[in-house]
Amino acid sequence: MKLALLTLLAAVGLLVGCATNVNTVSRSESLANPEMVNDKRVITDSSLGKLLRIVSVNEATVSGNLKKVQVTLENAKNNARTVNYKFEWVNQDGMATGGTGEVWKPLHFAGRETKTISAVATSPQAVDFTLKLVEAK
Amino acid sequence: MNTRLLALSAVVTPAALFLAGCETGATYTDSKGTGTIVSLDQIDIQDWNRAADEMVASLLASGVLERAPEQPAVMAVSRIVNNTMQQIDTDSLTKKIRIELNRSGKTITTTTLGLGGRAEDPLAKEAAEMQAMLDGQKKATTLPYYTLSGKLLEDRARAGSTRQVTYTFQLSLTTVKDGLAVWEDEKQITKIGKKPSVGF
Repeated sequence: MKLALLTLLAAVGLLVGCATNVNTVSRSESLANPEMVNDKRVITDSSLGKLLRIVSVNEATVSGNLKKVQVTLENAKNNARTVNYKFEWVNQDGMATGGTGEVWKPLHFAGRETKTISAVATSPQAVDFTLKLVEAK
Repeated sequence: MNTRLLALSAVVTPAALFLAGCETGATYTDSKGTGTIVSLDQIDIQDWNRAADEMVASLLASGVLERAPEQPAVMAVSRIVNNTMQQIDTDSLTKKIRIELNRSGKTITTTTLGLGGRAEDPLAKEAAEMQAMLDGQKKATTLPYYTLSGKLLEDRARAGSTRQVTYTFQLSLTTVKDGLAVWEDEKQITKIGKKPSVGF
């Protein structure tokens, strides 16, 4: 009886967990040719590190001389979740410089969903960026 | 006795900690941080910041500003229609956009030309007119190449005690010479809940 109840609970839990997952379909061989960025990661929140996977980081130049960066993130778990993120920009001398994305914004994920976030430097002097991620409240 | 004391402290200590945690004295928080209040009946500071930030990113990424014959292009802020239930100063949105575009070196905003002849900086307008008169020129101010206009919308929904509000920010950049909107974008911010909360 107990075993049956546990099995039922586990099955219900599994179904609930899968209910928000996202299935996707796309071209088998992508035509996009993004300029990928080799990234360095600093994990201070190991639980967030396990929940959210950084799939790729790529960059481009927009408006002639402004850097744009795009980061693809994947929710590594079946549950829906929200994280907050912001970008920061620095110039050649390592000094902080302006750019979009410098305000904390919430980002909602369904289970196993992949999303992209991006920001554009508003200073032509910006050469590097940092993406910060925290778990939402 | 010791057991009683232990039991008492086990009850009192968490209660004291809980009360300390409930301290509601005002303090400072980062305007661009995650500790700001999330309301269900108004556009919060983080909503303005986010809308302006995403609009600037969209405009810069569109490459439209590069097409102006003179760099930086002169822009004037036109009407931002407020169709929300709030009393709003639309500078909460447009000034942030102007600042970032100015910083990028892609546009500069005229402050001597405003909707209905109302200049943002009347003294600068008067001085420019006086200078033009002394120089024998007809044109006292630089005409804008672009104008920025837009609309703010509000949509409310309710399911039982759960409330939802969506604020829609719409902006258009128009080329003055032909009146065509060369860039347009819309950003929506939706908030849902039963009551306001601190932080997000």
